[in-house]
Order: sequence, then C-alpha cells, then structure tokens
Amino acid sequence: MSESSTAYRAYRSWVTEPLSAPPVVSVIIPAYNEEWRILPTIGAIATHMSARGEPWELIISDDGSRDTTVELVRDLRFANLTLLVAEENAGKGSAVRRGVRAARGDIVLVADADQSTPIEQYDRLAASLETGSALVIGSRAADGAAVRGKSIGRRIVSRGLHLLVAYGFGVRVADTQCGFKILRADAAKRLFDLQQLDGFSFDLEVLYLAHKLGYEVTEVPVEWIDAPGSTVDVAKVSMQFLRDLVRIRMYDLRGRYARSRPESEPRVPTPAHDAVDEGTRV
Amino acid sequence: MIIRTEIEPTRRLVHLVGRFDAHECPGFRSAVTPLVTAEANVIHIDLSQVAFVDSTALAELVRLQKAARALDGEVILADPSDPVRVILEITALAEMFTIIDTTGAP
Repeated sequence: MSESSTAYRAYRSWVTEPLSAPPVVSVIIPAYNEEWRILPTIGAIATHMSARGEPWELIISDDGSRDTTVELVRDLRFANLTLLVAEENAGKGSAVRRGVRAARGDIVLVADADQSTPIEQYDRLAASLETGSALVIGSRAADGAAVRGKSIGRRIVSRGLHLLVAYGFGVRVADTQCGFKILRADAAKRLFDLQQLDGFSFDLEVLYLAHKLGYEVTEVPVEWIDAPGSTVDVAKVSMQFLRDLVRIRMYDLRGRYARSRPESEPRVPTPAHDAVDEGTRV
Repeated sequence: MIIRTEIEPTRRLVHLVGRFDAHECPGFRSAVTPLVTAEANVIHIDLSQVAFVDSTALAELVRLQKAARALDGEVILADPSDPVRVILEITALAEMFTIIDTTGAP
C-alpha cells in the first residue's frame, strides 16, 4: 500500500476525529434500499470533501430501507457521519427534509446515493454560491452538461415536463430533478420548513417556493452518468409528477406555503437518541 | 473509461483511466479476462487514474481475482487513487488484493 497522501490523511482525520468547529458544509444523502451503492458513494464523497480542508459533516438520511443500508452505514462508525433512520418509507422528499433539519453547516449539498453526479462537481457549483445565489442546482439540460446513459424516453419526457414547469409555473429552470443541489443553509431551512411533498417531486416544489420567495437560483451544467439498475418507470413517474404539479398549485392557492409545517411533524432528530425516526450519530 | 493493456512474458498490465462503473464492466471483462492464462497468471491493474469504482466494478475485480487464483495467480492493484483506496477499505475488499505502490512517493 502506498504512503498516505494529503487527501487520504485528511479523510482519516475526518473519520476518526469529531469536528472541533461547526461544519461549513453538510452533505445530505437520502437513501432507500441502497445497500449495493451506498458505500462506494460514501467513500468517494468522504475523500473529496475531506481533501477540501474545511469542516464538513455527512448525513445519511435513510428512508425506511428494508435492506442492509442502515447496518452498513452504522457499522462505519465515522466520527462526523450522522445516520437518520426512518421507520417507514415516506419518500425522498421526506428523507431530504429530515436531513436539512439536522444539518449544521452553512452550506447544504443534497446528493444522490448513486454518485450519478460525481462529487468532484461540488467545487464548481459551490463557487457559484459566492456570487450571491441561494441555490445552485446541477443541471443535465444546461449548455455544457455531459449526460451519459439517459434514455431517449426520459429525455423526451424531461423536455416536456420542463416546458410545462417553465410556462405553467414560472420556474425557469431547465432541470428541476437533478439530484445534486447546493443551498445556502438559511434558504434550505426556510424552504424545507415550508415544503410539503414527501415524494420525488419535492425538488420542483422547493424550486417553486424559491421562485415565489425571491431566492436567486443558478443552474450549473454537470456531468451526469445514469446509474444502471434504475427501475424508474418513466410513464408512472411522469403521471405522479403531473399530479404533484397540481398539488403544488393547490397548496399555494390554499395558503399552505404561507406557514411552516405543523409542529406535529417529526422534528429534527436528536443525535443523542438511538431510535427510529431519530438521528443516530455513529 | 479507457482500458490500455500491456503484455509481458509472465504478467499482464492493465491501465484504467476514468470512472469504473457498471457501464464499463462488459468492456473491461472482454478486454481483461482473456489476459489471465496459466502462463501469465498475474495481472497488474493500474488504478491511479480511476476516480470512482462502483459496486458492480468491485464485483468485477473480485471475479477476476477468483479467476486468477484458480490458475495459481493473482490480481495486483497498483497505485489506487485516494477515493478508490478508501472505497476498497470501507467495503472490506482491500484485504482481498495485494495493493502496491509503484510511484515511490514519500
């Protein structure tokens, strides 16, 4: 084995030593039945983010996995990794919301568990935050994006939905669904306190709310590689997306976005407690 | 991913560049598996320029290791990049391979 590089030593330090300062960045990975993919993704993210040299934390927000995802992550026992466990599979939006509520960083990165957008893209997107944007979102549709493995069917559906979202909702974002988004923490907390959807359309809802509240959103082209083995049913997902578009509009008309989610919602997990639906710092 | 092979009398060298994931496994298998023979049963895989390996790629490396060992040889992983090294460690697969440093880096 080679001598340790600076990046590797930074990783080892991050793994073994609890942060002595609040994190600058919180990386949130929602995970549902990701036992096959989660460890390589954690390895890649932990190496890259540790090498950046700023304090950061990793939050794996499980979404009621029925496989060994929770056990695999818990067994890592990384000093700065928080595992949030959910009893039921409520949806990606629910998992991300719990992650955002638990996040302590000034910057929040939400990234998919399949590393379809390589973590190296973070550096470029984070730089855009410095220009004043509250949200910087990875885009597979912006000029300069490099997309591999996306089927023609998904491309056509994405394009159609984009036109609908742009002209029907005023959300001028070419790709609402890319699972790689960076948010300023204050904006993330506010947006995820207001948003209601538990499923995969939460991205659209958050962007709709960002538009409504006047947050500046910047779209940055990313490299994106389709994760093989995806079982996404494009037709089914598209229909759900359309239904959620209507729900978002109805929620807004009824004033549900004028107030935060009720206190009866599951709140920020308390790391000291080891129970389902609560965070467990491992 | 770019796959470049070198053939020496008793060993084979494979240089990989890019992201080694499930998309790349069929190409890797067809290019690399035939290189392992009874006469040349040791194969070096240079991972210094691989930024990421997913679980399918890891399984492919394990499969190749089993094939090499069946011929009394082995797969040697050379100079894994930092993320690949970490991924091998946290998946507990590092112990399945001989991992070497050919750079002589301090």
